[in-house]
Amino acid sequence: MAAGIEAAPLRRAPAGRLGRGFVAALGLLVLWGLAAWIYQLTQGLIATGMRDLVSWGLYIFTFAFLVGLSAGGLIMASAAEVFGVRSLRPLARLGVLTAAACVLVAAMTIIPDLGNPQRVWELFRYPNWTSPLVWDVLIILAYLAFALADLTVMSRKRIAPSRRARILRTMAYAGLPMAVLLHSITAWIFGLQIARPWWNTALMAPLFVTSAILSGAALVTLVALAARRFDRIRLGQETWTALAGLMAATIAVDLFLVACDYITILWGNVPRERAALDLILPGGSWQWLFWLEWIVGGAVPFALLVVPRLRRRLDLLALASALVLVGVYAFRIELVVGGMLRPLLHFAPGNALGQYRPGQASFQFDGVYHPTWVEYAIVTALLAFLALLVTLGYRWLRPVERADAEA
Amino acid sequence: MPEETTKTTKRWAMVIDQNRCVGTWTCAVGCKEINNEPLGFFWNRILTAAPGETTGESSPALAPPASDEIDVPHGTFPNVEMAYLPVACQHCTHAPCVKVCPVGATFRRDDGTVLVDYERCIGCRYCMAACPYGIRIFNWGDAEQPVDFTVGYSKDYRTDGRLVYTPNRPRGVVEKCTLCVERIDDGEVPFCVQVCPTGARIFGDLDDPESEVEQLVAEEGTTQLLGDLGTDPRIFYRPVEHEENV
Repeated sequence: MAAGIEAAPLRRAPAGRLGRGFVAALGLLVLWGLAAWIYQLTQGLIATGMRDLVSWGLYIFTFAFLVGLSAGGLIMASAAEVFGVRSLRPLARLGVLTAAACVLVAAMTIIPDLGNPQRVWELFRYPNWTSPLVWDVLIILAYLAFALADLTVMSRKRIAPSRRARILRTMAYAGLPMAVLLHSITAWIFGLQIARPWWNTALMAPLFVTSAILSGAALVTLVALAARRFDRIRLGQETWTALAGLMAATIAVDLFLVACDYITILWGNVPRERAALDLILPGGSWQWLFWLEWIVGGAVPFALLVVPRLRRRLDLLALASALVLVGVYAFRIELVVGGMLRPLLHFAPGNALGQYRPGQASFQFDGVYHPTWVEYAIVTALLAFLALLVTLGYRWLRPVERADAEA
Repeated sequence: MPEETTKTTKRWAMVIDQNRCVGTWTCAVGCKEINNEPLGFFWNRILTAAPGETTGESSPALAPPASDEIDVPHGTFPNVEMAYLPVACQHCTHAPCVKVCPVGATFRRDDGTVLVDYERCIGCRYCMAACPYGIRIFNWGDAEQPVDFTVGYSKDYRTDGRLVYTPNRPRGVVEKCTLCVERIDDGEVPFCVQVCPTGARIFGDLDDPESEVEQLVAEEGTTQLLGDLGTDPRIFYRPVEHEENV
């Protein structure tokens, strides 16, 4: 693959009006989000919909989602090497590019969630080693450095092909455990908490790793399909089949793990855990999460990816990938909010709200959460910035072999 | 010759006798006053629970909470019952909040008080996610006060140089019950203990065998809130004695 790229004349593709418009639109969204963040800094986090009961919201959903997205690429690149999955090899560089971009934006997502972002450096000055958050920050930074190094090795023209292959192979062996660690530590931020029975399950790390591979593969598929549409890249049917197979398998494993959790809670009927699950199951006030996770982001894409007549169609592959992303995001919401709606001590009058609203109670019995425009604007900006990084990174690196490469 | 060291560190604890609590909210209001708590903030609140309810499992009958209004008994008439459960920071020996704080802003002193350093807190709210008792409150915006002057303890208070109390809380930090650290360091009892009209709160040193608190904790039937979680709080409860009092 590498040799093929070097043989090809490195031709800057014309950006085109469409491409320039896309980049400009993303830039505007980023600026709008930046303005929203400045507004949030002047007001404090009161500008968000979070309060004392649901004290983590859109920023943390998105953080967990982006950390997950960063998996797919690196795991795919590493798997191609370690397990010799030839059909995924053409996507290795693209995978690492998306991994680096996603983990960088994931780290950025933490900043607007902090009440005192100017003190973030204290994480390095006064680290408390029993906190999963400290370990998560370290593994995120290590993962980012690793992905950037991987990308450098893949893209530098000066390295001899045989030497490059050797380095990449070694890095692939390190990359796989590192990706697993990143998702496990992120899962343990939630999974270790005894105060949140909904989070406190040993399934959390396996679930995070699985959903990370799932959503990461979906993202790489979407980017590759976009590249195919706009850049005439050359990818064989076996690559698309491999991506579809990987997603179908991980949807199945992911939903299996979630089902194991549900069944354990339902059969045991422990009130603390039922309190959260009942909100999410059909009939509960947050049941839309169930439908998004199991049907829209579960059964439908699974069918699109396994039914022989459908799975060969690339437009349906794109649809399936998009639905998978919706489903995984729903899982992040379900996880975070589900753990926070019902406090363990669920007695009148409830928890302090943390805000004074004339004429209304200062207590909240059940959590409510409605994100504000500030949160939507900032999260949209972060996603736009991610798209911008991937677009510009793609243009700069040309990570996938082009159709005219072997002219 | 090494001097004989006298032990200066106490092991502070509090017993809340639910048999005596009649739900006046005096401790909650007193707490608000002495700590200049902003509007919408309650470091200390009085839950309406069922007698013997300290597990959070809503026994008896694993029933859902009676109501989201206070003073509504649990159960179905004529089998109704009710008890008041005052809840503030439990000052856990194995405090989950101390474990998760990424920068050590929440810390536990040798005497058992769990405190927040307002100058260190980065506002990530991980401690709020980790606390089983829901007693932590975040300064989402600027503090709103009902009057334009400071009430209660009006000075900053530091322990080991760390700012653990300030009457005007900065934005973006988490706050909670300090066990009135500025008062107990000065030989006084926490304000909730002082103001309780029925004497339902007993405060003292667990290391002092003569103290009432030590004797009550040693008594059978004294419980800890959500004791099964293993947080080992320094706040103990004497649940309502069913037969005699209901």
